[in-house]
Amino acid sequence: MLFSSISFLYYFLPIVLGLYYIVPKQFKNLILLISSLFFYFYGEPKYFILMLISITSGYFHGLWIDKIRNSKYAKIPMISSIIVSVGILVYFKYLDFLIVNINSFFSLSISPLYLVLPIGISFYTFQILSYTIDVYKDEAKVQKNILDFATYVSLFPQLIAGPIVRYTTVEQELSHRTHSLEKTAYGIHRFIIGLSKKIILANTLGEVVKIFGDLAEKTVVFYWMSAISFALQIYFDFSGYSDMAIGLGKILGFNFLENFNYPFISKSITEFWKRWHISLGTWFRDYVYIPMGGNRVSKLRWVWNILLVWFLTGLWHGAEWNFIIWGLYFALLLVLEKYFIKDILKRLPSLISHLYVLFFIIISFVIFNGNGIVDVKVNLMGMFGFLDIPLWNFETRYYLKSYGLVLAVGCITSTPIASSLVSKLKTYKYPRLIMDILHPMIIVFLLLIITGYLIDGSFNPFLYFRF
Amino acid sequence: MNKKLKNYIMAVAFICIIYGLMFINLLIPDADVSYAERRRLRQIPTYSMDSLIRGDYFSAYEKYFLDQFAFRDEFRRLNTFIRLKLFNQKDNNDNYVIEGNISKIEYPLNEKAIVNAANKINEVYEKYLQGSNVNYTIIPDKNYYLATEHGYLAMDYEKLIKLMNDNIKDIKYIDIFPLLELEDYYKTDIHWKQERLEDVADFLLLNMGNDISPKVEYSIKALYPFYGSYYGQAAMRLEADTLVYLTNEIIDKVRVYDHIDKTYSNVYMEDKFATIDSYDLFLSGAKSIITLDNPMASTNKELIIFRDSFGSSIAPLMIKNYAKITLIDLRYLSTDLLGNYMDFSKEQDVLFLYNTIILNNSYMLK
Repeated sequence: MLFSSISFLYYFLPIVLGLYYIVPKQFKNLILLISSLFFYFYGEPKYFILMLISITSGYFHGLWIDKIRNSKYAKIPMISSIIVSVGILVYFKYLDFLIVNINSFFSLSISPLYLVLPIGISFYTFQILSYTIDVYKDEAKVQKNILDFATYVSLFPQLIAGPIVRYTTVEQELSHRTHSLEKTAYGIHRFIIGLSKKIILANTLGEVVKIFGDLAEKTVVFYWMSAISFALQIYFDFSGYSDMAIGLGKILGFNFLENFNYPFISKSITEFWKRWHISLGTWFRDYVYIPMGGNRVSKLRWVWNILLVWFLTGLWHGAEWNFIIWGLYFALLLVLEKYFIKDILKRLPSLISHLYVLFFIIISFVIFNGNGIVDVKVNLMGMFGFLDIPLWNFETRYYLKSYGLVLAVGCITSTPIASSLVSKLKTYKYPRLIMDILHPMIIVFLLLIITGYLIDGSFNPFLYFRF
Repeated sequence: MNKKLKNYIMAVAFICIIYGLMFINLLIPDADVSYAERRRLRQIPTYSMDSLIRGDYFSAYEKYFLDQFAFRDEFRRLNTFIRLKLFNQKDNNDNYVIEGNISKIEYPLNEKAIVNAANKINEVYEKYLQGSNVNYTIIPDKNYYLATEHGYLAMDYEKLIKLMNDNIKDIKYIDIFPLLELEDYYKTDIHWKQERLEDVADFLLLNMGNDISPKVEYSIKALYPFYGSYYGQAAMRLEADTLVYLTNEIIDKVRVYDHIDKTYSNVYMEDKFATIDSYDLFLSGAKSIITLDNPMASTNKELIIFRDSFGSSIAPLMIKNYAKITLIDLRYLSTDLLGNYMDFSKEQDVLFLYNTIILNNSYMLK
């Protein structure tokens, strides 16, 4: 089930919230678990059992790690947990990719399995791994209540699109969490803002990308417009989901960590990755990069560490070469920043630093969005005028006019300009009063607009050829 | 404003909307059809263990929820308003409105489809029509008049006509473009208005070798409101059209035979005006093959029109010169099967009459 669906907004959510608030405290997790399992089953019935297996595996590995933590074999259950979790992930997400590449490199003809990727597997696998590793490192207490553990792994607000919530973040809240009007209102606000980012901005910007993909006559300007639209689309899509998760978490009494912090205002790629998909970046930092020695190693070893972490980061996003190249592209930029341009960037005017980041980020998402290496190459050539195409044409002008305002709104709202302005205005009495009155009205209006977008998305006129 | 009060209003408003709409959706009965979208709406899906495991059952539910959502048309109107007025988008689902006139972008020109249409006409000609008086005409769609002038994307119409003319062999082209203007089309529908087609019908008759004098008189019947096929798609509150049809003693006596259903009906079926598609009033709407029999004909001449829906309203204005007019819709009847229903002879006049949108999507012609 998706947050951005009628079934979630107008059936699942009211029923679950109603039950959740009605039942006594000791049954709240049970309600959350049942509803989360149904949430997953609704969207992915085929792989429902797989998630249960992963939960069971994580739970028993936790107990096993705790049981023999003082013996010389303490590492075995932790390694076993990694093998099982990563094994499942590799089997379902990467096996076909491996087979295709083995076939290609060794001229073999092993049949791919054509497995459909189970929804959310990358997220819940990483959550289970964070739990077992933290229990092993004695940074988290073992969870003996399987219902609480299953609730943590399957918690529907963050189950299918993150953020990757570590066990330690919600350890206390699984058993003792508070609910308040303030948290609920903030949760509603965050949820609707996230939903608006996804439905109104990301999906509309996605239309630009789709129109571009379908165009027969492309232009240089449209190549750029599509690239910028995709960068904004993926930001609003992903950060929107994170907002929704954080908001729903608040309504249910959980405090998830922020996952995005206006990444497009960064002045360096290093800073960008401190603001973009923070839960993934910190996961790889804490469970891969630091255990390998982090930056407290030789220069060569550090470069290797960076390459490996970013290779894995790219691969985490998908089993395609362009994701791996995307990851390694960032590794290269980060190494270059650290050894060559860090000081230069500091001395540059802010505008230049911003443009530098935006340029390389837009290029990175062209790589990310490419349908294979050849497609990436063609798109980059198109952007830089190496294809025999016009700079612009009537079609480009039409779509620029049609989507220009959405693009502008996207650009502005991807920065903290609007929220800074609101904060500033709130320091004055009357503007604050007006904004306080408008705030709930805007949230309600956004919810209705979102419903309109969702319904119009299903608009399916019988083609006029019928008449 | 007290922060607590603000939070309270926010929570209550949110709860009211999600619970309110949930209960409304649960309580109101499901609709069978959407008049705006001119289609049947999805009903509660049928359960089976297989569909449940495959995920189809819940996917079907998702579509059912969307189709049956309360105030569906109002929410679609809200969406259109936000897109067109707030975000200043030029179109919504390719629909655009110029001074109450709705049109739908048809772009770009699909050259392969145009050549395919020409080849289809050649195929029919070679198979059944060699030696007959065969003609073809092209009806411009509304974008021809609206799009370019108002900055919307439009097909290259000149190229379309040239491609047709270059690829169609041994068939005479009758150019009706100069006879038509935007006012000849309904504001809320794709089609042309019958009451403004007398000159086009006479021009076609004349070019097929008919004598069009003396002028035939018609009486006018008007039906209001007529919400055309574009109205629902545009999702905006706009003024309805009036559907006018022309009739006289000749047309009143014409019987329409449906070769597939083997039934007879009248030229104008007023009861169809109240259905999903009011334009079905003309010759009962989409039909594979029908014949108009004119008992008052002073000739035994026959006309065969290969047509789309535009043919339904112009054919009655041409019946005065023929004993029979057969309308064939190749979207619903395969070329190979035509011989099973029709006896072709060299004495018959033939007209291929297609609008530009059908030509640009000609792969639907069988």
